[in-house]
Amino acid sequence: MTPVLGGVWAQWESCGPPPPIPPRMMQPHFGGGRARRDPRGRTGVLTQIPPPRRQVASHCHLHQASSGRPPAPPLPEDPPSLHNAPGGLFRLAPGDPFPQGTSVAWLAAPSLAFALVCDPRENLALAEGTLRHLAPRLLAALRPPGTGVLLRPDAADLLLDRLLPHGQLLFLSERFLQAVDRELSPACW
Amino acid sequence: MFSAAAESFLRQAREAQPEELQRFAARVAAQLQGPEPGPEAAACLQRLHLVVAASKYPRRLDGEIAGLLQKVLCSSKCPEQIQLLCAAILREMSPCNDLSLSCDNIQDTKLLSLVSSVLLAQGDKKAEVAAVGQRIVKVLEGRLPEGQSSRYLLPVLSNVISLSPEALTEEQTNVVSKKMADWLRYASIQQGVAQPSGGFFSNPRTRQPGPVTEVDGAIATDFFTVLSLGQYYTEDQWLNMQAFSMLRKWLLCYGGKGLNAPNSGNRSEMDESVMSMVSTTSTSSHLLPPKERLREKAFEYCQRLIEQSNRQALKKADGDLQKACLIEAVTIMDIICKQDSSYVYRAAAFLKVLHSRISGDATYARALLPIAQFFLNHGEMAAVDSDAIYKHLLTDIPAQLFHNASLAFEFVLFCKENSQLFAETSSVFRQSFPNLFKFLAWNSPPLISEFVDLLPFLLDAGTAIEIFHLLLDLPCLTAALDVQMRSTSASERASCDPAVKPATCLEAFRHPLYKSAFQYLLRIESAPEDPPERLIPLRQLLGSLASSPRVVQCADTVPVLLELFFSVVAEFADGPLINQLVVLLLQRSDQLYEIPAFKDDVHRVLSSQLVMLCKLHPALIVELSKELLEFSGTVSNIQNKEAVFTHVVWAIGEYMSVSYDKRCTVEQINRFFETLEAVLFEVTQVRPLASIPSYAPRAITVLMTALTKLAARSQDLIPRVSLFLSKMRTFLQSPAVTSVYCEEDREEILTRATELMNLLKMPSVAQFVFTPSVDAARSRFQKEVNDTLPSALRIVTRLLEPAPGFVPG
Repeated sequence: MTPVLGGVWAQWESCGPPPPIPPRMMQPHFGGGRARRDPRGRTGVLTQIPPPRRQVASHCHLHQASSGRPPAPPLPEDPPSLHNAPGGLFRLAPGDPFPQGTSVAWLAAPSLAFALVCDPRENLALAEGTLRHLAPRLLAALRPPGTGVLLRPDAADLLLDRLLPHGQLLFLSERFLQAVDRELSPACW
Repeated sequence: MFSAAAESFLRQAREAQPEELQRFAARVAAQLQGPEPGPEAAACLQRLHLVVAASKYPRRLDGEIAGLLQKVLCSSKCPEQIQLLCAAILREMSPCNDLSLSCDNIQDTKLLSLVSSVLLAQGDKKAEVAAVGQRIVKVLEGRLPEGQSSRYLLPVLSNVISLSPEALTEEQTNVVSKKMADWLRYASIQQGVAQPSGGFFSNPRTRQPGPVTEVDGAIATDFFTVLSLGQYYTEDQWLNMQAFSMLRKWLLCYGGKGLNAPNSGNRSEMDESVMSMVSTTSTSSHLLPPKERLREKAFEYCQRLIEQSNRQALKKADGDLQKACLIEAVTIMDIICKQDSSYVYRAAAFLKVLHSRISGDATYARALLPIAQFFLNHGEMAAVDSDAIYKHLLTDIPAQLFHNASLAFEFVLFCKENSQLFAETSSVFRQSFPNLFKFLAWNSPPLISEFVDLLPFLLDAGTAIEIFHLLLDLPCLTAALDVQMRSTSASERASCDPAVKPATCLEAFRHPLYKSAFQYLLRIESAPEDPPERLIPLRQLLGSLASSPRVVQCADTVPVLLELFFSVVAEFADGPLINQLVVLLLQRSDQLYEIPAFKDDVHRVLSSQLVMLCKLHPALIVELSKELLEFSGTVSNIQNKEAVFTHVVWAIGEYMSVSYDKRCTVEQINRFFETLEAVLFEVTQVRPLASIPSYAPRAITVLMTALTKLAARSQDLIPRVSLFLSKMRTFLQSPAVTSVYCEEDREEILTRATELMNLLKMPSVAQFVFTPSVDAARSRFQKEVNDTLPSALRIVTRLLEPAPGFVPG
């Protein structure tokens, strides 16, 4: 994970059949700053790199279209199980938008998509696994869904701080995850 | 709709005016300056964060509020929620000139991590990265106060070295390497204890924790790793997990000779000839320098993980983790071997055994990639015959697991990165391209850009023809893969009656009529000798799947790949290959999978590429005169493949000339003339009492122009063309035609006919314009003339029929 990019952008959009007008991507992003040091050197220009919302949305839609089935309506589970949620990998070419080519792991929850931007030689299997742990916990921490979610970066930051600290992917077994959950549970706001 | 509400909320935040923001910030400041910021302060900070984060341009808060946020962040009495919010806002405002934050005096490791996140987001203008790095190492070296944990510090360190590997001195990296080796190898194998909850009823005598277990529940057999399970974890076990999580990055950065960026790991940057002269057995390992000792412990850790992956995990998440660990372990071994080649023999033997173990297990397929990478990098040195490994990888895996999107992605990336190496090491890579395309056929959207990079490596004079056919049949391949998948999962194997024609694609899969065609389409190896005509009936059969979304997505990728194909082929193709491609192009233009938009797009690409091929090898018009005569003489081609037809006729007019090929005889010109004349006649015939079919106006004008060009070269033909052209007016004015062609089109055809007629009235000019000498053809002047033919025609027309007021010269 390129840490300062903060990795996870929660994106609100309908994952139903593509509407006639492409849905606007909101981007309250969590964790990490957007500023990034220019690779030209310490005195280089600091650039703000926009996260790849458009690409993630497009891959979500295409993946769903290729399955030929309409999206299943979300069940009122608590928390939603995302083990079989659609997800995948794609690549961003160098310069679009990051200077070096990067791979992106994405996961589609009902009405939301999550994306992890990975460093060039990241363990992509681990990245995908991390998304599957992170997404349901984020969804649970940010309940109820609604505009109020935009006002709770601290809830997301807390989770990210434990599961993706400074953008570092962690090799967490089920038991380690339970340990993290135990640490976090008294601190729910 | 939810997103509309959120959208408008965001817009409100985004549109908050600077004065509004300042007023609000002042309110927040007032809240924060109170004795203990509570839920109201938190709510204000949340709103402030949204405003700062939502705006597309950097929002500046005044120095006072920035200073207050920093103060609150660092204050020990502040609730964690407030601290998180302050840090989040400060990060959003990065880079912040008013930042006076420093990590120097912070003792609390969680706070240190949080403050570091703000400092590291500043863009390193004031050497913040180095400062953070120094501080973290200092804290790690020293003794932590009671209740503090080092585990919050390692991720910060990992972040530091990503941003700036030179932030740490060699001494510091040695300190950390030493600690990492201990954390990796010597973490406790007893489970941790639950923190006592205290209270009246709590039992002070806690049960002795047992040993950690493996993922299948057995008692741990060896040292602690990330695949060791416990109910509660000790501090050193957390550090073990985190040290492994950053191990790859650390080794890439500091494990080799000199400093390397953690994201490189390119072969060329590692010194492969480093031979460790120090014994690597564990008894004497404490004598090793820190770097070498870490390497040794890391290697042992990876071996242990690989052994642990042999167990059957009880939980699915642990099973997934095993696979991720396996991939990581093999990758780290590869890195270690690059940094110290004395490990190669041990690793190679070990990994060969691993390969045998997992090669039959589809759930471990992704791990085959780093294993293959290892042998590509070190196989030669280990004197291991890795061909069997590549063969299994390239022939079995794509055929069985093309539908696994993540595997497909990593597989194609792997091929891309190693295409050069593969081509040198083994012929199996080039031969298995039909298999590779299965990934693209099934998972088109994420893989098309990778295939654009990969295709040039697969293309050479030997594979070009087969790949051409394969590209045109790519959506067909998607449909066939779909049938194959359904066939393997079909519960009953219906008996196939060879006498009865199959009703569905699924039945056809095993039917003798279609079986071998399916096998050919789904082949795993290049088969250049096999005639692709056998796919014609199969293509028709699969027509029922032509509208399936996956097939359509695949079809969208074909035009892009075709254009790329031709641009690469143009670089190496010789005359015979170009001829072969043109013949196939003409043949295949009506042997395409029946998806309407697909056919139009392919025709468009083929026709423009035909022109490109003619430019490269103009003599093909003469060499392929038989095929071209047949193609251009078939009137139905004008409607079935208008783009291709038009361009063929244009090419005939342009290149059928002794200037391009001395073998072009008058007889040949005449033959072409007669063929095209017959077609034009057919197309412009007005049958009384019958409606005429509509042909594209462009086809008519290009036929007329081509005939004129040919006549200019064989001047006996001029009277015939002139006569024909003069009849065009009658044709265009007839009632049957006026109802079929719009006025604009008729105008256009008539104008062109007139211009051509006028040109033919001056045969020597016509000859000059239409028959350039070969050298002149290459000169810019002639190129301009040819490009501006229509305007040249218009000038000539005006010369012959001057409008009032037009002054020549």
